[in-house]
Amino acid sequence: MLVSWRYKYRNSPMDHIDPRARWIFSFAFLIAATSTWNWIFLLTYFIIALIWYRLGNTTWKETRSGWRLVLFMLFMMIVINTIITGGGAGGVVPPGGQLVWPNGFKLFGETVHFGLTIERIWFAFCQVLRILGISMNFILIPYTMDARSYGATFSSLGMPDKLAYTTELAIRFIPSLARNFSVTMDAQRARGFELDDIKGGIFNKIARMAPLIIPVTMNAILSSEDIADAMDLRGFGQGKRTWLYELRYHRWDYIVLGFSALLAIGGLVASYVFHMGDFIVPQFFYNLFA
Amino acid sequence: MEEKKKLWGFETKQVVYAAIGAALYAVLAIATNMLQLPGAGNVSFRPAVAIPMFFGVAFGPIVGFITGFVGNILADLLSGYGFWLWWDLGNGLLGLIPGLIYPTIESYRASKSIWRAEIFVVLGSLIGMGLASISEMWVSGADMNTVIFANFLPAFISDVINGLILVPLLMIAYAAIVERSGRD
Repeated sequence: MLVSWRYKYRNSPMDHIDPRARWIFSFAFLIAATSTWNWIFLLTYFIIALIWYRLGNTTWKETRSGWRLVLFMLFMMIVINTIITGGGAGGVVPPGGQLVWPNGFKLFGETVHFGLTIERIWFAFCQVLRILGISMNFILIPYTMDARSYGATFSSLGMPDKLAYTTELAIRFIPSLARNFSVTMDAQRARGFELDDIKGGIFNKIARMAPLIIPVTMNAILSSEDIADAMDLRGFGQGKRTWLYELRYHRWDYIVLGFSALLAIGGLVASYVFHMGDFIVPQFFYNLFA
Repeated sequence: MEEKKKLWGFETKQVVYAAIGAALYAVLAIATNMLQLPGAGNVSFRPAVAIPMFFGVAFGPIVGFITGFVGNILADLLSGYGFWLWWDLGNGLLGLIPGLIYPTIESYRASKSIWRAEIFVVLGSLIGMGLASISEMWVSGADMNTVIFANFLPAFISDVINGLILVPLLMIAYAAIVERSGRD
């Protein structure tokens, strides 16, 4: 089985931004974007996210697996829930509203009454802005952030050393565990095990995975004891850790940090102090249906 | 003398178990994602969810949490799915809650331990996937119906089925290792 990281150095502007500043920006964006349903704010955040995303210099071919997941989620939430079933919008869109087809519409000679409102369509648009904005921030991470930087970054952001080191260690274990998995799969195939064509119901399918999952898991547990002993012998956890991957803030990182603070604090103040974040439908959108 | 199991202990051994668990969860999640849930669109069956649950039961709630949390982050990073904190936390709870029975287990083969683990697997899936699904209301503005039918039920049902079948098998296999090597 081939397991490879999606990251590659592109010499893009994103490659030169400190990973800590990037995480802080992404979470500041999440806070700001989830504090409002006002389309003006959401559109502004969407544009900011678009610029941020472009800084990564990624291609559609590289990122399409992530986007497929997001587009499926968007389809489920927006087309089915908000547009078709009218399931509502988490209490954001007030009940009632102006119908798009107040007298129904003709379909195969029959008059169909479909309770879609202008407010619901506009809310769906706001959902698209918000979800795509957030997605652009977080989909970018695997492609533009070096996996070797995670431990040092999380530690530097205040995560306890042991926890940060666990993340670092897990990243380093992945290639050898993927290799063990391949070896086990080959060994089981030699005994007649078919992974590609497991027949039967769901329960049978899961139970048939056991000859693969159990040996890989038990082998990993057996080897972990030796690793723990080796770490103990080298005095793991006795003092403050240093990291191989060095992080250093540059001038532009401080600009990103300042902008992140402005985004999060400004978004929260606008929404919760000045109540500017409420959902509204602009008049021009009503005019389109007049 | 047998060492007393500490519920919230996180020493060198637990660091390694958590790291191995997270890496294993990521690798197996990618490897076993090919099973599709019939009639539930794009929802994939992930037998690997048994890993954080089992690591919780075998090594404690912190190991279970990190296995699920970090493992899901790594699986998403390797698949190129991005970073979804609320689903990562939900996966962490899948391991943390079964881990609460860790100090009470004397034999991983005993039916009493297996039943207890099964109950906590269901609880862990309920709370973990419940939290992750409800967070979609905050992030995406989805309503309760969408959260329940599009997010919670497919994830909860598939995780519970996988956990209920695979966790006891892993416990029995681990019991053999414990007995053979005299681990606690």
